[in-house]
Amino acid sequence: MAGRNDSGASEKKSNEATNDMSTFNAENLQSNMKIIYYSRTFLSIIGGVIAGILGFTGFTGFIFYFLVMAITSVGLMAKAKFSVHSYFDSWNRIILDGFLGGLMSFVLFWTLAYDIVHIF
Amino acid sequence: MALGFAVGVFGVLILAHAAYSTIQYRGLLKIMEEEFSGPPMTVLAEVLLGLGLCMWAGLTVPGKFLSIHPDSEENRIVSLPLNVDFMIFNHRGRAFSSEIDMKLKY
Repeated sequence: MAGRNDSGASEKKSNEATNDMSTFNAENLQSNMKIIYYSRTFLSIIGGVIAGILGFTGFTGFIFYFLVMAITSVGLMAKAKFSVHSYFDSWNRIILDGFLGGLMSFVLFWTLAYDIVHIF
Repeated sequence: MALGFAVGVFGVLILAHAAYSTIQYRGLLKIMEEEFSGPPMTVLAEVLLGLGLCMWAGLTVPGKFLSIHPDSEENRIVSLPLNVDFMIFNHRGRAFSSEIDMKLKY
């Protein structure tokens, strides 16, 4: 009886180790995704203002946007202490998610700042 | 949290000052009738400083990352009472008549 219980417990443990990512605290995951979204949106706006101040036109500005987003990705990975799996379920969420979402805000503030600084 | 917010506002103010300096620089160039090739060095340094501050603020202000493992330290007690499977409604409270106007006091 005790032997059966032991094998049952150890089986459950190995199952838990493999199923660990199938049950996770979804509310925390959603909160983490919101944090990433806020960070990326704010930094794409700031990036747009800087691109406008520095007078970037055309392709250079988009290069600058991707540079700012790459730095943001590195910053987010540092914030997650590089152990992505304890805060998210895959690497893609922290690296790629929201990459293009801030592009519109970036272009808006880029043109706004460029007009204010260089044209008026 | 408030520190991050203050740092963010400070970074935005630095960027606004950099924008103002660039506007003045362009006015100067217009007077001297030269082309705008690039911002002056001070503006570049100011913009980098503003970017650094805003980046730090943008990463720390929205909040901490919370662990998603169900068996981690901080998730231990919080998610247990929220489990609907353990909430029962078939208890003696239904013996109370519904005319009683009692309110819950926290």
